Amino acid sequence: MTTPGVEIEGLTVGYDDVTALDDVSLSVTDGEFFTLVGPSGCGKTTTLRSIAGLESPDRGTVSIGGRGVTGEPPEDRETGIVFQNYALFPHMSVRENVAYGLQFRDSPARDDDERVTELLELVEVADLADRDPDQLSGGQQQRVALARALAPEPAVLLLDEPLSALDAQLRQRLRVQIKRIQSELGITTVYVTHDQAEALAISDRVAVMREGRVEQVATPETVYREPATRFVAEFVGDNNVFDGVVAPDGMRATVGDAAIALPADSDRDRGESVAVAVRPEAITVGRDGSDTAATERTVFLRATVETVEFLGDAYRVHCEWQGRTLVVKTDADEPPAGEVALRVDPADVRAL
Amino acid sequence: MRRRSFLTRTGAGLAGLTALSGCTGDGGDGTESASTESATDTESVTDEGTTTGTVEELSGTLSVATYSSFVGEDTAGNWLKSEFESEHPDVTVEFETPENGLNRYIQRKSEGAPIDADLFVGLNTGELVRADEQLDETLFATASDRIEGADTVKPELQFDPDGRVVPYDTGYISLVYDEGEVDAPGTFDALLEPAYEDALIAQNAQQSDPGRAFLLWTIYNKDPDGYLDYWEGLVDNGVTILSDWEPAYNAYSDEEAPMVVSYSTDQVFYHGEGVDMSRHQIGFLNDQGYANPEGMAQFADSDDAELARAFASFALTAPAQREIATRNVQFPAVEGVDPGGDFGEYALEPPEPVTFTYDELSDNVSGWIDEWARQIASN
Amino acid sequence: MDARVDRLALPVGVIATLATLLVVFYYPVGSVLVGAVRAGGQLSLVPLRAVLGDPFYADLFGFTAYQALLSTVASVLVGLPGAYLLARFEFPGRRFLRSVTILPFVLPSIMVAVGFLAMFGRTGLFNDLLAVVGLGPVELTFTLEIIVLAHAFYNAPLVTRLVTAAWESVDARRVETARTLGASPLVAFRDVVAPQLLPALLTAAVLTFLFTFMSFPIVLALGGLEFATVEVWLFARVRDLALTEAATLGAIETALSLGLIYVYLRFEAMQLRAGGGSRSIGREPLLAGWRSLLDPRRLALLCYGGVVLVLFVGPLASLVVESVTTPEGQFTTDYYAFLLAQQASAATGTVQPVPAITNSLLFAAGALVLALPMGVVVSVVAARETRGSRVAEALLTAPLAVSGIVLGLGMLRTLVFGTELFGHRLTVTGPVAIVAAHAVAGYPFVTRTVTPALRAIDDRLVDAARSLGASRTTALLDVELPLIAAALVAGAAFAVAISIGEFDTTVLLAEGVDSATMPVALERYTGNRSLGPNLGPATAMGTVLLAVTTVSFVVIDRVGGRWER
Repeated sequence: MTTPGVEIEGLTVGYDDVTALDDVSLSVTDGEFFTLVGPSGCGKTTTLRSIAGLESPDRGTVSIGGRGVTGEPPEDRETGIVFQNYALFPHMSVRENVAYGLQFRDSPARDDDERVTELLELVEVADLADRDPDQLSGGQQQRVALARALAPEPAVLLLDEPLSALDAQLRQRLRVQIKRIQSELGITTVYVTHDQAEALAISDRVAVMREGRVEQVATPETVYREPATRFVAEFVGDNNVFDGVVAPDGMRATVGDAAIALPADSDRDRGESVAVAVRPEAITVGRDGSDTAATERTVFLRATVETVEFLGDAYRVHCEWQGRTLVVKTDADEPPAGEVALRVDPADVRAL
Repeated sequence: MRRRSFLTRTGAGLAGLTALSGCTGDGGDGTESASTESATDTESVTDEGTTTGTVEELSGTLSVATYSSFVGEDTAGNWLKSEFESEHPDVTVEFETPENGLNRYIQRKSEGAPIDADLFVGLNTGELVRADEQLDETLFATASDRIEGADTVKPELQFDPDGRVVPYDTGYISLVYDEGEVDAPGTFDALLEPAYEDALIAQNAQQSDPGRAFLLWTIYNKDPDGYLDYWEGLVDNGVTILSDWEPAYNAYSDEEAPMVVSYSTDQVFYHGEGVDMSRHQIGFLNDQGYANPEGMAQFADSDDAELARAFASFALTAPAQREIATRNVQFPAVEGVDPGGDFGEYALEPPEPVTFTYDELSDNVSGWIDEWARQIASN
Repeated sequence: MDARVDRLALPVGVIATLATLLVVFYYPVGSVLVGAVRAGGQLSLVPLRAVLGDPFYADLFGFTAYQALLSTVASVLVGLPGAYLLARFEFPGRRFLRSVTILPFVLPSIMVAVGFLAMFGRTGLFNDLLAVVGLGPVELTFTLEIIVLAHAFYNAPLVTRLVTAAWESVDARRVETARTLGASPLVAFRDVVAPQLLPALLTAAVLTFLFTFMSFPIVLALGGLEFATVEVWLFARVRDLALTEAATLGAIETALSLGLIYVYLRFEAMQLRAGGGSRSIGREPLLAGWRSLLDPRRLALLCYGGVVLVLFVGPLASLVVESVTTPEGQFTTDYYAFLLAQQASAATGTVQPVPAITNSLLFAAGALVLALPMGVVVSVVAARETRGSRVAEALLTAPLAVSGIVLGLGMLRTLVFGTELFGHRLTVTGPVAIVAAHAVAGYPFVTRTVTPALRAIDDRLVDAARSLGASRTTALLDVELPLIAAALVAGAAFAVAISIGEFDTTVLLAEGVDSATMPVALERYTGNRSLGPNLGPATAMGTVLLAVTTVSFVVIDRVGGRWER
């Protein structure tokens, strides 16, 4: 992909004395589903609003579809935006909402009706066209908001936590639908969410943000498997992250009284502080160290089961290990209990 | 002549200095001679007034500045306009009635803004003093010696030593009282007695003509050194000081109090069948009434001075004087004019008209009023 | 709309608003107030020191604040039960009652004074009523009490309006939550409702204090000189052409008022905004059978109804009665015949009633057309809440803070007399100037009703519209304004009310009787003695004014009501 979607260069936004965005640069390719994820206050929404032209950055540039739009008002940027609270115009019907943006395009009016109907069908609310927004459920309102944003055929679709106000089931259904529509239309999409699972599920690429900076930009797989920073490791997915010190052999990290093998490619000086991360699903629950596949670098941690959550397809087990809490995910038939030996393979360990 | 004027002038000359003699009472000679002289003049003017005016044909538009109640249906202003216009078919008279009266022109003059009016009708001594105090240049032209009939005005009413203003009528400030409620107070001192507790409504001398005249009347009787003490007594006895004549008189009509400061022409309004005349008794305190003559003056900046003077002359003719008196309910200024009718019957003149002269007022009147208002407002 | 024109609309609106303000407000007022810091043509503190160092003026400001405080307390006491009634009870005519609460605002003070004297005078209706129940008579005329009552007449409805609006925006769910947590109705009111009403109440109280602090015609008409306020004194100084002293008093008064405006804006911004999906507390029927009359709350409201009748209906009814009664108490139609005669009269200087009505309505319509966009533009700027925006807002709300006399004097000197510009003397008078002046007087009220409503709108609605291609102006017209229709209608009613009731600047800027309005006619008729010195003709004109205004409000309410969705 060579056509540019959205380019952000050195974006800095400050409110009063707080820096909301600090020199953020991002590049979204054409047709890509790109997600900004991070805890509240990380700057993801500010980034999105800067793309839309709803914020005036102190520094930096924004271009959409290869066209520099820095300083242009929102109405000239050809973006479509969907907000968490839908922001449907309460004094207009569903149809009027969706048709609203069409009047600003140079197109014959008679096409507009068709376009609206087409979009309402696309988001599966065609039968609600003449209702007022307050007569719709949250999910329906969000579909209308999506249709409204797509109607003028924007160069980029901006979604600001569009699913956060919906219940879990609906959220999952809708995100699949959004993904489907996005790939059907091939529209460049920037999606903002605080929900890392949603980010991983829906995106082509993810930017993890924290305190106005970008921590990592990568595919969901990379972000999950190879977090670039301790923050990313902790924020994306469940993770066990411990502070340790690189052992004298340079191959292990001492955490408590255990020595956890570091990945072969980690290049650390002895005595250096190191954070060690192991995903819950990478830890195996066993009775002791009698596992056959164990190599000499496999570590067994003796821990006590504290709480068990049943997830349907697996158990999520919270263990106490040397004053630390360890989370383990196991697909065993029975929930583990009491004293357990937790097996950690060096290949699954990330040193940060 | 039954009526004796205690207001005199030292001479009949128009630019002569006015002097107050009412308090000393020794100006009898001057008075007599002045009034007789003027009376004869009046006759000649009234005979010729309407005919001599038309010798040279006047034309153009005359702008007359005045107060709003002088114009409108059945007013003196409108009578003057229509009569003057019918005598001079090429003349149009227009009225300007700015809300703030003479102040409008004083301010215009001091700001260097043009003055479009030719003649001001309806200013009194206090206002003339204020205009002169405020302005370095004179607002009005010295024209009275060129206004035909100006010398027929009663000398005691002349209040401008520089001969700019020609009086056309006068009122006398007096009390109007309800004899069913109170006895005639008779004197200023009586007003301090318990019998007149909460009985009097007066007006604010800062913004009301009769109010100012009444204040000056008290100063006239109690001296500049003593009037504030006198007013302290009035306030202690419950005098009410309202903003202007209308609210004061309305309050009196609504029986809020049995006495009000008003004009001695009160009964001209109230007489006849079904009217309770006991509520319209006139009280001349100390047998006096304070004269408040109204005058007219030609603006120095007038671009049609001749027309302005012709109109002023016209206002001094006997028929005009009678109409002004009846319609404005004020006494004529020209000697020997008898308005007759209801006015002649019901308008009362004080035994002793008194007033302050221009010279007595200038440099003093602002201070007197200010001191007085501060004392009242501090209560 | 052409895209470029559209984009410029808002900035142009701001500039046009500022330009109008500059010409008919800031420049005239500034030209007067500058006198407070000038002596002998140089910058000087002498005039300020002279006034500030004078104990008389200390007393004058003290008394002015004291009567304003009393008036504020009275307005709150009278206004609050009204808010309770309108917000919590349902009864026939509630909507009408709500919309006529604005009526006192429009009534020229000359007329209110006449009504009050007729109602509360020694021989007035009130004393007649008291006599029926064997009480009285009370002497109220020309006392501080009647001034305070008249101030309550004007301002209690303001308290009622603002507090009712706040009460209606209290989310019922919060009260329900408090109740389920064990709070009694009274405790729930104290802990949940009252804190939300308080900012509205404080807003109304500060505004009332401000208005009564600067009150002038009421004090002049109903009080004697003993009750002179700063504004009354200022008027006297202007009459005496003591302009430096007047300017200094005006400057101090304006500084104090601007401070109050700032406080007021703070309170206003504190008012909670009803979030999306909030549900107002339901209304109880006021009357549910005769038995409900035994309810102490309803009994108290009944008594309150009596107070309202005496204080609000009384003076207005007395005015109407006066217009058909001779001083001797006989029925008469003379005063209306007088109006007809004035109408028929061809005499110059006659103010005719029908043109006065037409002028009033035309000027009001013009002022509305101008004040509405001005107010909305200022609201849009104010609602942005950027740094310093509240100070800017205070300055833009300054027409509320500046004495009418200072403004009048300034207009006289700059607009009526004209200003030398490039060798020409420019004067600004006549109908256009009157409309502009009315708009300037009225737009702060539009802003005051529109700003909170605008702030309550979710910003994202505008964001959504703009990213769909709407310019800021189009978003304002398409999205925001329809959503705040109710506030716009209320603002429009204020603008019309201010315009119809305006007297001082109208009389200044009018060129002759052709531009006379109803209050001007009323004032002229008070001075007309053709029926003898009595207020009959004025009361007849006042009754006409009352009727025309009531009809206008009903029309605004109906038209506005249809527009609201």
